[in-house]
Amino acid sequence: MMSDLLLQAAASGVVTGCVYALVALSLVIVYKSTDVVNFAGGELLMLGGYIGLLALVYFELSYPLMFVVVIVAMYAVGALFERIPLTTVRGQRYSKNAEADLVPLVVATIGLGYLLKGAVRVVPYTEEVRRLPPLLEGAPIFIGDVILLKQDIAIIAVTVVVMIALTGFFGWTRTGKALRATSQNPRAAALIGIPVKSMRMIAWGLAAGLAGIAGILLSPKLLMTPDMGNVVMLAFAAAIIGGFSSLVGCVVGGIILGVLQNFVGILISPQAMAVTPFVVIMLILVLRPQGLFGELAFKKV
Amino acid sequence: MYGELTVRPFVGVLILLALGFVLPLLLPEYFLYLGNTLMMYAILALGLDLLLGWSGQFAFAHIAFFGIGIYTSALLQLRLGVPFIVGVPIAAAFAGLVGLLIAIPATRLRTVYLALATYAFAECAQWIFRAWDSVTKGSDGLRISAPDIFGYVVGTDRRAFPVMAIILALVLLSFLYLTRSKLGRELCAIRDSEHVASASGIDVKRTKVIAFVLSAVFAGLAGGTYTLFQSFVNPDSVGLAQLILVLTMVVVGGSGSIAGVLIGVVLIGLLPEFLRAAPRGLLVWQEFFYGLILVLATMFMPRGLWGLWQSLFARAKPQPAASPAAGARGPAA
Repeated sequence: MMSDLLLQAAASGVVTGCVYALVALSLVIVYKSTDVVNFAGGELLMLGGYIGLLALVYFELSYPLMFVVVIVAMYAVGALFERIPLTTVRGQRYSKNAEADLVPLVVATIGLGYLLKGAVRVVPYTEEVRRLPPLLEGAPIFIGDVILLKQDIAIIAVTVVVMIALTGFFGWTRTGKALRATSQNPRAAALIGIPVKSMRMIAWGLAAGLAGIAGILLSPKLLMTPDMGNVVMLAFAAAIIGGFSSLVGCVVGGIILGVLQNFVGILISPQAMAVTPFVVIMLILVLRPQGLFGELAFKKV
Repeated sequence: MYGELTVRPFVGVLILLALGFVLPLLLPEYFLYLGNTLMMYAILALGLDLLLGWSGQFAFAHIAFFGIGIYTSALLQLRLGVPFIVGVPIAAAFAGLVGLLIAIPATRLRTVYLALATYAFAECAQWIFRAWDSVTKGSDGLRISAPDIFGYVVGTDRRAFPVMAIILALVLLSFLYLTRSKLGRELCAIRDSEHVASASGIDVKRTKVIAFVLSAVFAGLAGGTYTLFQSFVNPDSVGLAQLILVLTMVVVGGSGSIAGVLIGVVLIGLLPEFLRAAPRGLLVWQEFFYGLILVLATMFMPRGLWGLWQSLFARAKPQPAASPAAGARGPAA
């Protein structure tokens, strides 16, 4: 009986883990390309969910069309945030120390998160807790003793498609390669003619788009409130498990975290679920700062 | 702020003390409540700036040390009957001790990971305040008894005001000393370049740990002062929202300078009052405004309002030495 319960918990952990992986990837793309920890990641997810709700319920668009609307809108939000506020902040010289100069950039993302949360909260429509209609409806599917909803299958499928698309993008397209070059060494990239500023914009746009997709996938499962962005800490934990560097790391980290969280809920206490990501973050950073998969990075001088 | 010590800061502290004793005779209770809150935030914000502005480290754990300060001093008074004057130093020392335990692993981390680790610690601490029902009364919150200082019972904002002023004055004096001490200079050196600092014989790790612990002590002390004029605490009082509030104060006023931080505390601390007074209830926009202010401040005021003021009106001086950020500015890029 207990093993059935655990198996079920593992299965639903994999599903939520997929969403965490998408958000984690969004955070990692921003970090790798601009060195910024994006504390607004959760609010971007929240905004994506609400734009999806607006498109689906108010404008009565179809689901595929809604995906397109959300991705385009979120891409614009992300790219604009990089282009106007972050570029301006970078133009201000705060100190001689490159690491200390990251502080205002991160503070700006905290500001963005608050701004988005506050903006969504003043819309009267968000006062009530909403729920996005699921992507697929219908009878649940049994795999052995494990029950999966159709929408869970859809979540896994969308994640797999997005991951394959991103792998292709980063591996084979000119823009993808240019993005990778920029994240490895912006100065060298600029020297060989890569437009670094545009690359940063694309990275932020991509990251916001990914967060938006995650928002659409998560909103049918969670209660939608302006505070739903708090799930970003799970994504941070997932990214840290994966070493804050690779696509595969994010997926593995997300799934480990999703399953772990459900197990903590069953084996320890439901109350302890809330604190799981924070304990994971602290333990990994103290014991193995490079993550479970990351290699030890040399300190930039 | 490496510069010469002038008389001006001391005059400021004296004025603060004088106001601390005069204002309770003149102002209505609500204004005194606001004043007490601002003074508490001033201690909290100065402590945060010690890490953020002086040594360039992220310090999201700050609000956790504040919470530890509140709960420790409140519980000491409530459960063990320890008087305020003993309980608050114990609370501050305890916050510092926890800070030391966190600092030793945390200061090894690079900025990004330090930000996440301290953030995670703050969330863990809040979770403990909520989950440790038998001690902290969990989400229901803890009632705080009125402190008694040598027979002076602090039950009201009016009676708490002078005590707050004295404590803030002591904190300001210790900051004036600290920022001009060897430690203050070492911190600035580390913020500007760790490599140059360590090449100049500064023990970077040790200095960072000391800064972290001192900052935690100030946060714990701010937590102790909370028990002076508040009668109730619950875990929501020590959450991320409060941290962002203090962060906004520091960033808007001017990170890295005492005067800047104090300006930020007053302006941002009074913002909800202005919003409340404005027609059509702008108070619901509070979150939005804080976010907007943070973004705009990082974009256009790298040294906060204080830095802006100085660059506008203090051009005549050869070097605006009152802000370490100013001293650290390199030649234009």
